[in-house]
Amino acid sequence: MSPDEAFLIRLLTALDTVRLDYVVVGMAAAALQGAPVMTQDVDLLVRDTPLTRSRIDELAKHIGAGRPLPVSELSTTLTLIGGEVAVDVLFDRLPGGHSFEGIRARAVTIALGGHAALVASLDDVIASKEAIGRPKDLASLPILRDTQRIRSSLAREDRVREEGNP
Amino acid sequence: MTPATYDPEQLVRDVELARGRLGDEVADIDPHDVVLILQSLLRPLGTGRRYFLREIRPGVYVA
Repeated sequence: MSPDEAFLIRLLTALDTVRLDYVVVGMAAAALQGAPVMTQDVDLLVRDTPLTRSRIDELAKHIGAGRPLPVSELSTTLTLIGGEVAVDVLFDRLPGGHSFEGIRARAVTIALGGHAALVASLDDVIASKEAIGRPKDLASLPILRDTQRIRSSLAREDRVREEGNP
Repeated sequence: MTPATYDPEQLVRDVELARGRLGDEVADIDPHDVVLILQSLLRPLGTGRRYFLREIRPGVYVA
């Protein structure tokens, strides 16, 4: 197990402990689904409620971060820094307009270290990167799209095999 | 699969098999990228993969 996998398990443990209703989004979501990418942080999408805000404060303590810091005056995103890996918290929707509820409904469950992480679908990660449109987001699109194509091709072939061998 | 039972040779076999199954469907994708993607897709979680870049000084990163 790598230090990164160990960190992810500690983060999932903390998320379970504080009972935060979240979906992992962004490049961490893509990487957890097998896209060959790296990132500098973990992005979480949550609902914006007073209870959620208090649980984010607790989460920061559990992962050894300082108090949640607004990314900018123009953004509602909070960043939890000072721990091993930065964790950003986005509220209610992703760029492109996808709501928390929609992202969560399409999310996939990834098992790691005895935890079940809810992770945004690769299609939603790609859509959000297209909507953000910053150079670094656009630069990630080719490998994300290729990964999705290969996943889809393998899944399609699996279905054909299953239908041929009931 | 746990790290103790992770078999790199099995991953190689899985990648070769998947590449064969894909055939010409992804012929327009760089072959090296196909292998890179397949090994990443097929490697079980918890077997030593790195996910995070850490900036050790401005502009310099390590995994």
